[in-house]
Amino acid sequence: MSAVARAAALGPPVPAPARAPGARRVIWAIARRELGIAWRRKMVRLLFIFSLLPPAVMAIILVVRVMAKEAVDFDLGWDPVAALFRIQVFPVALIALGLGTPSVARDRSEDVLYLYAVRPVTPWVYTLGKMFAVMLPAMLLLLAPSVLTAVLRNGILGDIVSTSDSLVLVAKAALASAVLGIGFAGVSVGPSAATRRGRWAMLLAIALFLMPEPFKFIYGFDAVSIGPASASRDLVNALFGDEPARLALTGSLVLLAYGTFGALLTRGQVQKEMRP
Amino acid sequence: MDAWITIENLRLDRGRREVLHGITAGLSGRAVGLVGANGAGKSTLIGALLGVLRAKSGRIEVMGMPVPERALEVRTRAGVMAEQAGVFPGGSGVDAVMFAGMLSGLSRREALRRAHRALDALDVGEERYRASHGYSTGMRQRAKLAMSLVHDPEFLILDEPTVGLDPPGRLQLLQLIRDLRDEGRRILVSTHILPDAEFLCDDMLLLRQGTVAFSGPVHELVGATAGRLNVRGTGVDASFAEALRAAGLRVLEAAPGTLSFEAGIDAEIMTFWRVAAERGVDVRSLSRDAASLEEAVLTAMEVGR
Repeated sequence: MSAVARAAALGPPVPAPARAPGARRVIWAIARRELGIAWRRKMVRLLFIFSLLPPAVMAIILVVRVMAKEAVDFDLGWDPVAALFRIQVFPVALIALGLGTPSVARDRSEDVLYLYAVRPVTPWVYTLGKMFAVMLPAMLLLLAPSVLTAVLRNGILGDIVSTSDSLVLVAKAALASAVLGIGFAGVSVGPSAATRRGRWAMLLAIALFLMPEPFKFIYGFDAVSIGPASASRDLVNALFGDEPARLALTGSLVLLAYGTFGALLTRGQVQKEMRP
Repeated sequence: MDAWITIENLRLDRGRREVLHGITAGLSGRAVGLVGANGAGKSTLIGALLGVLRAKSGRIEVMGMPVPERALEVRTRAGVMAEQAGVFPGGSGVDAVMFAGMLSGLSRREALRRAHRALDALDVGEERYRASHGYSTGMRQRAKLAMSLVHDPEFLILDEPTVGLDPPGRLQLLQLIRDLRDEGRRILVSTHILPDAEFLCDDMLLLRQGTVAFSGPVHELVGATAGRLNVRGTGVDASFAEALRAAGLRVLEAAPGTLSFEAGIDAEIMTFWRVAAERGVDVRSLSRDAASLEEAVLTAMEVGR
């Protein structure tokens, strides 16, 4: 193509966006790209499919419960929303690891953090974009099936459970989803910022999940959790089970602390490398 | 012409070391070459212009916008091609260019449209759909330039744009950058390759160990260092050479019919003409040795004017 044709193809200079884009727009752009990249990976797609299984099983159990009640007038008395949440946390944690651990490590290994710095992207906006890419699917995969199951439960078991009861469950699910999403994002994105290799980041994140677990066994299950896995368990058990409310509070605080620590670590590391 | 980049007494530290020592310059050319040896402070200056690095003292204005106060706006209106950074990883070339547009505030649809347009302009064909990590150096440079152009920036900051390219690729990229300049975009090119700077730039900022060695039009840089004048004519001989020496000029070579002397300022040339008139010398030609940009830059770097 000739120089004139190239210039014509590029067109006359059109004014660039006069003002810097808002932080929300840039955060969404980063999160969206991260999700797009993750979706191309077979493992993430498999985990996503795996995460759809528990809601499907819960729906079947609901139907079985109604059929059992109608057939032999016996109520299993088993609450699908609480059970769903307990099970669903596991695939969601795996998805969070799959999404978060390669995200910053990939940019660091390819030396592209400076490419963000020369555009209207601050270290905080970058960090929140990467965190949001983990939080959003984690929260949706926890909340959406819970809401769906609650609606089903209300429709199928309308004579056994009240609407207000279901609404309370949905509110609890929303709270737990938000806290777990933030915690999982911190546990997966933080290690990603600490290394240039996605696999090392994955190992670090798994270690973060598992290493504090023995303390829970040593100090007893009533003790305050210090790891994200036991904190998640405490939060879910206290919100949906019979565990004391104190554990829900401490579990939330621990997960929020992991989220905050992961964000601060990422922001600090990124700021160091967002320069020529 | 008004300066589009104004720098006043800029001092900047990297770690505990001062890298820029009170730089002052007003850059008004359509394309400005930023030239200096490794470690002269070129990348640091670019970082400061974009507000990525904070100055210890001094004032910076880019397109009338103070930095770092309006750094985000400057970065939105700039197209930057960074030498050390590659292409956004994890996808194809067109994905990376589109993402660059989205980071600058374009919608996804508009960013995709402009990404294809920028890649078309850079002669990137079906390769745009391939994963960017497998690109050759030339393709990578094109993708990087497309990333800097996708949002139609008002000005471009290009850091070593032709490094690693083969000669045809280099010429093609230089021609494209020149077309962009001729369209009206302002360009700051940091380069080690002086023929590239000569081809593109009308102004030059030479840095030497964090200070300004020269700032101004390229012709001034070249002209100022070309101090040797060659004379041909009748009456040009050894006695004429002596007369010029007596008048205070530095005669470099003298032979019957030809003579070379040094003259950097107009007064010295006037002295030459006065002596020639007094002695009745018939001067047929008086020409100045044209220095190459390379010689001029090396001289300016040594002298540190």
